[in-house]
Amino acid sequence: MEFSDTFEIEGVTTEEAWLALSDPVLIEECLPGCQFLVRVEDVGEDPDEVDFDALAEEADGEEKPPTLPEADPDDVAARAFEESGRYATLVGIQVGSVNPSFETIVTITKREFPEMHASAEGGSSSSSFELDSGMILSETDDGVEVDWWAETDVFGKVARMGQRVMNPVANQVVNRFFSDVEDRISEVDDESSSFRERVRDVVSRG
Amino acid sequence: MPVETVEAEDVRAGEFAGSAVKRREDPHLLTGEARYTDDVQYPRMAHLALLGSQYGHAEIGAIDTSAAEESEGVLAVYTHEDLTESGIDGTMPAADPENGVAVERPLLARERVRYQGQPVAAVVAEGRYDAFRALDLIEVEYDRLEAAPELEDALAEGAPRLHDAAEGNVCFESETGDEEATEEAFSDADHTVALTVANNRVIPTAMEPRAAVARYRKSEDALIVELSSQNPHSVQDRLSDVLDVPEHRVTVRVPDVGGGFGAKLQPYSGHLLSAWCAMALERPIKWQARRTDDFQSMVHARHQETEIEAALSAEGDLLGLRGHIDADLGGYATGGGVGIPQGTAAMLCGQYDVPAGHVSVRGVFTNTAPISAYRGAGRPEAAYVIERLGSACARELEIDPAEFRRRNFIPSKEFPVETALGRSYDSGDYEKTLDRALEIVGYDGFRQRQEAAREEEKYLGIGFSSYVEVCGGSSGDMEGGLVRMNPEGGVVVGTGTQDTGQGHATSFAQVVADELGVDYDAVEVIEGDTDRVPEGGGTAGSRSLPMGGGALREAAGRLVEKGRTIAAHQLEASEADIEFDDGEFRVRGVPDRTVTIEAVAEAAYSPGDLPEGVDAGMEETAFFTPEGSTAPFGTHVAIVEVDPDTGELGFERYVAVDDVGTQINPKLVEGQIKGGIAQGIGQAVYEEGRYDENANLATGSLQDYAMPKSWQLPEVDWESTETPSPNNPLGAKGVGEAGTIAAMPAVVNAAIDALSPFGVDDLDAPLSEETLWRAARGETR
Repeated sequence: MEFSDTFEIEGVTTEEAWLALSDPVLIEECLPGCQFLVRVEDVGEDPDEVDFDALAEEADGEEKPPTLPEADPDDVAARAFEESGRYATLVGIQVGSVNPSFETIVTITKREFPEMHASAEGGSSSSSFELDSGMILSETDDGVEVDWWAETDVFGKVARMGQRVMNPVANQVVNRFFSDVEDRISEVDDESSSFRERVRDVVSRG
Repeated sequence: MPVETVEAEDVRAGEFAGSAVKRREDPHLLTGEARYTDDVQYPRMAHLALLGSQYGHAEIGAIDTSAAEESEGVLAVYTHEDLTESGIDGTMPAADPENGVAVERPLLARERVRYQGQPVAAVVAEGRYDAFRALDLIEVEYDRLEAAPELEDALAEGAPRLHDAAEGNVCFESETGDEEATEEAFSDADHTVALTVANNRVIPTAMEPRAAVARYRKSEDALIVELSSQNPHSVQDRLSDVLDVPEHRVTVRVPDVGGGFGAKLQPYSGHLLSAWCAMALERPIKWQARRTDDFQSMVHARHQETEIEAALSAEGDLLGLRGHIDADLGGYATGGGVGIPQGTAAMLCGQYDVPAGHVSVRGVFTNTAPISAYRGAGRPEAAYVIERLGSACARELEIDPAEFRRRNFIPSKEFPVETALGRSYDSGDYEKTLDRALEIVGYDGFRQRQEAAREEEKYLGIGFSSYVEVCGGSSGDMEGGLVRMNPEGGVVVGTGTQDTGQGHATSFAQVVADELGVDYDAVEVIEGDTDRVPEGGGTAGSRSLPMGGGALREAAGRLVEKGRTIAAHQLEASEADIEFDDGEFRVRGVPDRTVTIEAVAEAAYSPGDLPEGVDAGMEETAFFTPEGSTAPFGTHVAIVEVDPDTGELGFERYVAVDDVGTQINPKLVEGQIKGGIAQGIGQAVYEEGRYDENANLATGSLQDYAMPKSWQLPEVDWESTETPSPNNPLGAKGVGEAGTIAAMPAVVNAAIDALSPFGVDDLDAPLSEETLWRAARGETR
C-alpha cells in the first residue's frame, strides 16, 4: 500500500520543524499509540533481535526530558535521529477489530536537511509490516509544508481483517501526529528571535 | 408457479415417487431439535484450536510454544515434529496427478507455509477460549518469502517457486480431444471467434463452519469421530490412513450438517488432528472452526483462466473448438484441484454438436488456499466459458443467440453421445427446454421492448445459458443401499450418501415405500454412521439420488424377490404365479389369495415358517454401479436491467427450464434448482475471493466477502421437462448442481447485452457496481 499527503505546520520555520521532527522524544509523545521510542545499538533490522519487554520496563516511569520549544535546541540536536541509526519502538494500533502492538525497529536511511527517510519492520503476535517512508520540508508563506510518503506491506491478521479500514486508520494516525507536533512547536513566540536563531544555528551545524 | 407440496398421507400408496411430498426433515430443523457437531458435548471434553500462518509464503524456523503451554487451561501445544514423533508421517492425502508432480500436504506446516492461514501449530485446552488465547502466545520464526498469489505471478519468469518438485509452479499438464482434427477444422473455418474468460475465485461459505468431535476409547482401541461432513466413509478411510489405525476401529458419525457444497468432502487438519489429539490425550476433543478459519483454510473454488476459440462455418455451424485452461490449485494440490479443471476441459462442448475439439490444461500452484470442489465442481466453469463463447459467436456472426444455440444443439435422436472432448451424455432434448424457456420469457416481443426501453435510457439485457452437466455417479462408482424390514413391518434403510440439507430422507423413503408398497411413514432412513450403513461414496457430484436411490431401489427389489419366495410358500403356489403390487403378494388369477409384505416379513423371522433353503431375515444390501453418468440439462434465461450511471444490476426476470430426468420429488428438485441459482448468481454478481499482492486474504470475513442476500435474488419462474436417464433404475439425473451451473452465464450474458449500446462485449464476474459502471464508460477494471 502507498500513502502520501502534505501537512502544513503554521507559524514555524523549516529549521524548527526539522529539529522537532528529528527528536525521538517528541515523536514518542506525538505518535498515537507509541509507548516508547529509543535508540538501540548493534542490532539489525529484525525486531526479534531486541528485547522489547526489557525496553518497555526501562521506559516505564522514566522522566521524559522537555521537547521543543521548552528544550534547549542543543540538547535536542544531541539526541536527534542520525542517519543509519536504529530505533526501537512499541506502537499499538487499532485496525478494525484487531489492536496489535507492533515491536518495531526503525532505521533512519537518509537524513539531510530538509529531507529524511526511514524504514521500519514491525511484528506483533499475529501481524507484521514493512515500511519505507520519507518526508521533505519546504518553507511556505506562513510556515512549513511537510510532504510525506510511505509504502508499506502488511501481513497477517491486520492485513486480513483491516483492509477496508487501513487507509482511514493510517490517515487518522498521521493527522493526529502532525496536529500534535504543530500544537507543540507552533507555540514558539515570534518575538523570541534568539530561540529561532539558535535553532537555525543548530540545524546549520548539522 | 412454485410446486405445491402434498402431505404423505394424501398420496396413494405406490405413488410416492413423483409426488411433492413435504420434507420430513423440516420439523426437526425448524423446531430446534437439529443437532450440529458443535452441539455434541462429552464429559472431560477439551478444545482444539489451530494457529494459521500469518504469511502467504514463508520459511518457518523455530516455533516457541513455551508461553502458550503455560497459558491458563492449556493441555498441550503441538507442532509438526510432535506428529512425526508419535509415529505418523504427519501428512494428509494429496493428489498424485498423471503427467505431473505430487507434493505432500502436511497436517501442520513443516519448514514452509504456502498460503495464509495454513495450519502451523495446534493448541488443546480445557476451554475453547483458553485455546484461542494460547494461539496468540505461540512464537513462530518466519522468514518471509516473495509470494505469488495470482496465476500471473506464479507463471512469470523468475517467479518464486512454491514446491521444489514443481518447476515454474506447474503441477500438471493434460489435454483432451484430437488436436490434429481440430487444427483442420480451424483451417476450414469461415470465421473464428476467440475469447478470454476468467472464472473468479469463490469461497464456499456454508452456514456451519467445519467442526469435529473425536473420542478415543483406549480399552477397545476405538476411535469415534463425529463431524460435519459430506462423506463419512471417505473420512473414515482418511482417518485410518493418516493416523495409521485399522479402518474397522474407526467410526465416523455425521450429525446435522449446515451445508457442505463440496468443501466438506475431505477432512482437514482440524478434523484429523482432533482425532490424533483424542488418542494422544485420551480425552474427547472438539474442534470448531471459526468463520475466518473457514475463509482462510477451507478449500476455495473455481479460479481458472481460459482461452477459448470457436471455428465456424459461414452459416454459423460450429466446426471446432480449441482452448487452454490455466487452473489455480492454491498452495497444495487436492484431488479436486487436479480433477476439476480436467473435468472442465472435457465439458467444454456444452450442449453443442462440435465435430472436433482440443483443450489443454495446466494446473498451477499459487500462494492461496487450496482449490477444490464447490457446487458444480468443474462444470460451472465449463458452462460459463462455452455459454459466454456461444453468445460471443452469435454476436460476431449477427445471428440471434437463441437461434445460434438451436442451430448447434446435439439433436435429440443422437443420444447417447460422446463429445469431441470425451464426455458421454446419456439422454437429452435440448430444443425442448430452450423453446419452453423462450415461450415463458416472451422472447418474441423482447427485442422490441428492449429497443423501446433504450430510448428511455433504460438498459435491459437478455442472457441465455443452455447448459449440460455430467453427474450422478459413473460406471466406475458404487454406492451401498441397505433395506431391512423388521418383523413388525417397519422398514429401515441406509446408504452411504450424506444429507447436508437436500432432503435425502424424504426422497429415499418415497423410493423405498413405492418399491415395497408400504406406508411412506413406515420407512426410516439412516445416513451418516459408518457402523450402521453400508460402504458408500457420500454426497458429491449430484450423485445421491441416482446412486443412493439406485442402490436402495435395487436392495428393495431383492427384498421383494425374497418375499415372493416366502409368499409362494405361504400361499402354496408356484413362485412364478406370485404377483406383487401395492404391498401385497397375490396368486395370479386368484384375487383373494393374498399375503401382505408385512406378514411375509413376520414369517421371515420365524424360521419354522420359511420354505427350505431360504435364510431367515428380511434384509438386503445392494451395491449399485450404474451403466454410466447422467447428463441433466436445460436453459436459463435472465433479463436484467443495468443502470449505467450507478452500475447497479437488477433482475427483471429469471426463467429456468430444467430437465433432471425422472423426478422423485418435484418440490425438492425445485428447491435444489433455486438454491443452485442463488449460488450461481453469487459468483456472477457478488462473490470474489481476493488476495492482495502480499498474499494476504483480503476477503477473510463476511464483511469483506459478499454473499448474495435473499432480497438481491430474483423470483425464478421454474419449469421442467423429464427425459429419463437410461443409466439407473430410477431414470433420475442429478439435480444438486444444475442451478449453479446454469445461472452464471445467463446473468453475465444478460449484463453484456444490456450494456451493448455502450460498446460492451465482455465483462468479468463478479458484476459489481464498479465493474458495470466502468464498463459503461469504456473502462475495464
